[in-house]
Amino acid sequence: MNESFENLPVSIDTLPELTPNNFNTIERTYLKVSLISNSIFFAILMIGGICLVYFNDDIDRPLLAYGLAIGSVGFLWLFNIIFVSKAFPKKQYALRARDIIYTKGLLWSTRTSIPFNRIQHVELKQGPFERMFKLNSLKIFTAGGQTSDLVVPGLSEEKALQLKEFILGKTAIDEPAS
Amino acid sequence: MNLLVEKYTSPQRQSKVAIGIILIKLIRQTIKAFWPILLSLFFGTRSSNSFIDYVGYIALGFAAINVLGSILTFFRFYFHIEEGAIVIDKGVLKRSKVNIPFERIQTINFQQNILHQMFGVVSLEIDTAGAGKAELTIDALNKEEAEAIRRHILAEKKEIIGNDPALEQESIKEEAGETVLNLSISDLIKIGVSQNHLRSMGILFAFVFSTLNEITDDISGLVESQVDGYESFLSNNKWAVALISILVVALISLLYSIISITLNNFELKLTLKKNGLKLVRGLLNRQEISVSKKKVQVVSWSDNPLRRLFKMYTLQIAQASSSEAAQLKSKIKVPGSYQLQIDKVASNVFPSDFYKEEYKNRVSNLLLKRIVVLTGVIPALFSQFLYFAIEWYCLLFLLWIPLVWLVALMYYRKRSFEFNQELLKNNRGTFGNMYELLQIYKIQSIQIKQSWYQRKKRLANIVLFTASGSVKIPFVDLNTAESLERYILYKVESDKREWM
Repeated sequence: MNESFENLPVSIDTLPELTPNNFNTIERTYLKVSLISNSIFFAILMIGGICLVYFNDDIDRPLLAYGLAIGSVGFLWLFNIIFVSKAFPKKQYALRARDIIYTKGLLWSTRTSIPFNRIQHVELKQGPFERMFKLNSLKIFTAGGQTSDLVVPGLSEEKALQLKEFILGKTAIDEPAS
Repeated sequence: MNLLVEKYTSPQRQSKVAIGIILIKLIRQTIKAFWPILLSLFFGTRSSNSFIDYVGYIALGFAAINVLGSILTFFRFYFHIEEGAIVIDKGVLKRSKVNIPFERIQTINFQQNILHQMFGVVSLEIDTAGAGKAELTIDALNKEEAEAIRRHILAEKKEIIGNDPALEQESIKEEAGETVLNLSISDLIKIGVSQNHLRSMGILFAFVFSTLNEITDDISGLVESQVDGYESFLSNNKWAVALISILVVALISLLYSIISITLNNFELKLTLKKNGLKLVRGLLNRQEISVSKKKVQVVSWSDNPLRRLFKMYTLQIAQASSSEAAQLKSKIKVPGSYQLQIDKVASNVFPSDFYKEEYKNRVSNLLLKRIVVLTGVIPALFSQFLYFAIEWYCLLFLLWIPLVWLVALMYYRKRSFEFNQELLKNNRGTFGNMYELLQIYKIQSIQIKQSWYQRKKRLANIVLFTASGSVKIPFVDLNTAESLERYILYKVESDKREWM
């Protein structure tokens, strides 16, 4: 540890650490939601590829062209499915006494921490596929601009409501007396 | 209630000067939207005379629409002060009535362009805390009355909210203070000379080429017709011609820099007050920005190799604001300040005991290696495929590697960060220097980011978000990054001071 840390008024070792067992995983069904919404994108891409071949009169060997169009998109799709499923367990959140932490990312991992006393407001969001699986996303806004806003996806309806209440309660307490 | 304010309890129009100001605003908008068409029509007349009338009618039409629009806008704009709120009723086609309660008003700033200055009026800009477009402008108001309104609103707001320290900042505008910075003409010329001329040149080129493009499809044809008759001279004196054109372009860029700097920063004055800062500047467009200390999120200063000759920095003070667009507008930017003045501002805005040199934490030297490999070695190796096109000349591309290495080394040498219990300073730059200073407890959120490579090497990037943009520190040792994260969270969560 370098000298900057030794000059701090508190010892770093006495501050609470982030341990992996604080973390909660999100609902398993959210994986289905991401796969379905991705599949729509790839399906459109595939239809586009097929149309491109179908409406083109200059192609000598249509079978090969179809194969290439469907094959390449299919390959990307498969890759996407594997990647999304692998990355899914990395989506985790932790609630501590005074902050919320969310981690994500397989190749490029990100861990975002937001103290409750910096939260501006909290929102529950539900897309069409999330509604099918009765899931909610919790959006947390700070004054730090769009890139610092946090979205915790894949929460069951009651869990999401509970989290929202919890955070709102905390932000109210931490508000400086004015 | 003040007599001047009394008048505004019933719906009022703006000062009559507003018609002119709105008209100029509309004309500027029209020209901005249609200038390529106007210009091409204007140039198009050279070929056939019948077009002249045509262009004249169109210009007349635009002018008539603008005059009518500004008069209608003026007569359909009412505002008045109600119990604890300012109400604005406006709009010709789309009518709207806005009611802004005083407690939601964040800042009230004055703007004066040359027309305002001539008639002694100001435009009043009111920024509210809500996200999005809650901003409001009254185009022209008598200066004394505008000041009376501002005083009234602030006093009322104080009464509504109680003795909130959040309000003290607004008194900054009234109270006298110490002037830290006052740019003289010689300062302005120094700043203009040391501007980033490449940027000015880029702006000029973009302007010239887009204009030419609108006028004619055949730029080379246009150039040829202009230099017609000088061909032999040109081809015999290639070097002289090249030299002269470079000199001309450089001179124009220099002039452009100096003029734009002078216009924007004429008689710039930065004043330190008990609770914040006030900046006044501008020749044609007189601008006044006030910032309270509490709202200051990041103080940064930067130089470039040219400006370093004059030992000058560009000082920027960013404050918390509702939207990103408003952030830009409410930023205090002083292009020519000396280290002494920066120290004064920083130790005034932030707790002065903590504004001092600290241990410089270096970032990992793997950052240097990464930059050289990703932007130097790999592209250089790929360029060797050009062998099929240009044969052995492709080896020249290998020179790219030492070049990248040199630049990356300059960047890496300057990359460090310092912190103590109150402040964090981020130092960076390649050819110039950039320093960012922020108060730790004002941080909004923290991100620790790792690529798979960084995970393997136990390194991380830290991103600190404040209410006026983010600060990034790359390739920090993971232990240090996590300790810093723990300390920052502790500091933010335990500090009860207000952050905006």
